[in-house]
Amino acid sequence: MTNNVLDNIDMRGLGEMLQQARTQCGMTQADAAKVIEAARTTMVAIEKGERRLKATELIKLARAYGRSVSDFVRPRPVIEPFEVQFRAAYRGHEVEREQIEPVIRRLEELCQYYLELEEIMHSPLPRNYPRDYEVSGMPIERTAEAIAVEERQRLGLGDGPIPMLRDILEQSVGLRIFYLKMPGKYSELYSYNEQLGGCMAINANHPEERRRWSLAHGYLHFLAHRRKAVLDLVEGQYKRMPESERLAEAFPKYFLMPTSGLLKRFNDMCRVNENEKFTPANLFTLAHYYGVSVEALAYRLEEMELLRSGTWERLRDRGLKVRKVQQELGLEQIPQRSDMAPIHYQHLAIEALDQGLITEGRFAEFLDVDRLEARRISELLRNYSSGMVDESTHVDLRPLQD
Amino acid sequence: MTISHSHVILDACCLINLAASGHLLAILRSIPGQVVVTQVVKEEELKTLQILEDVENEAAIQFEQAITQGLLIIVDFESDAEAELFVNYAALLDDGESATCAIALHRGWAIATDDKKAIGLMKREASHLQMFSTLQIIKHWSEKTALDASALRETLNAIRFKGRYLPPKSDPLRVWWEQSLAD
Repeated sequence: MTNNVLDNIDMRGLGEMLQQARTQCGMTQADAAKVIEAARTTMVAIEKGERRLKATELIKLARAYGRSVSDFVRPRPVIEPFEVQFRAAYRGHEVEREQIEPVIRRLEELCQYYLELEEIMHSPLPRNYPRDYEVSGMPIERTAEAIAVEERQRLGLGDGPIPMLRDILEQSVGLRIFYLKMPGKYSELYSYNEQLGGCMAINANHPEERRRWSLAHGYLHFLAHRRKAVLDLVEGQYKRMPESERLAEAFPKYFLMPTSGLLKRFNDMCRVNENEKFTPANLFTLAHYYGVSVEALAYRLEEMELLRSGTWERLRDRGLKVRKVQQELGLEQIPQRSDMAPIHYQHLAIEALDQGLITEGRFAEFLDVDRLEARRISELLRNYSSGMVDESTHVDLRPLQD
Repeated sequence: MTISHSHVILDACCLINLAASGHLLAILRSIPGQVVVTQVVKEEELKTLQILEDVENEAAIQFEQAITQGLLIIVDFESDAEAELFVNYAALLDDGESATCAIALHRGWAIATDDKKAIGLMKREASHLQMFSTLQIIKHWSEKTALDASALRETLNAIRFKGRYLPPKSDPLRVWWEQSLAD
């Protein structure tokens, strides 16, 4: 290796990254200057990209900032920072920046890793994006239902439940969806730029029914407000819900529980019961079938005038214990893939590792785990992806073309 | 196992495997040369050693003992040239592997690694340096100490399950590994 990385690197870009890393760990330029035993003006010049950094200085700074040197020097796609786009949204909601900013930064970093993996593997995430839906000035409920019906048709989902919603949005639409831990009042982050397309972070701390709702909610933002980054709060946290939020909140019920399919299944259930009743057990079973909360289903059926108005409140006031009843009815957990990273991302990472294109340490970093956990995940992924021996995993199984 | 260099530098994956075996000290004693770990790997992987599935945290304790007894020495960059090389490799590898490769190349030391990407880089950059794998080191130790079959099986199982390591099918000693586990 004859080329010196620091002679050929974009010094301005490196300076910006160093500045970002310094401010993220709360150090001043004077503090950083002390680390490399230089004057503050030298540090200013380094961060402006006006002075070549020595290797020893970069090592010292990276150590002081708690970052790896590789983060600063490996060729990585540059992405537009998410913070700028999110700022207006969450300031507007008057929520605490400190709580959510690390999550935004994490999503941004993971999306950058995603692009990096795609470049390493020459395998971009396929996009199947519909046109932007026109929604301004339209009636909210009817618009939400019309979009839900059209999208179900476009994705070939019929009018049944969508068991693997996350996988469909990732693989059939091409959205980048991460499950990240957030404080309870946040449900989802959505961002978009031309380079990355639609990106979402769903609150990993929420139960699966809630996460599915947030996925559908975020999907509406992608469909109707594509270029507007959004930080979504759990319902009830808003002082005044904006119109775009009301549309996004109306969409999941139609998308997850389409009118035609729900009506048919409701009637089927009533028909087999004595006196054509619809029992609380039926309500629980149907909610599980659609992968939604019992509350969401009850409200949906009330709106469809299939249940009396106030049914959910009455059940709740009688001290209904949802989890207990679900256990008694033998309703198991909703099938889910709650991994932090999307499946395409994980497959790119394991392929890159197996082909010797990334190190084990980098693989662990991409999956945000230590090396031992990375080894466990890599074994699972290998078994999951093919169950085949190393040599045969890249065989093309398609028939030969003339 | 003949080593034609004065030192052998262990990278992170190899260190974790040897520590997971439960016999780090004995294995290090059997290596005919001074064994070394970089400061970067030590800092990055000490935490991993501490969470190896071992109630008494034996792996981390043995690692510290190995340092105290001089069986393992920790090295950091000693010159601008080493630091430059490290930064160059960090553009391709992660920090642990980059530091290991840079110091090995600059000081002319043998490398012990199981990392496919690091192996590829070193074959291109420093084919004159010897490279060893976890299995080569374990096989050498077991032969040198005339380890019985059940103790060897136990060691390999510890690497397999505590270290969660499975040698790739392309490893020339994979058959030996499988046979030793089956015996």
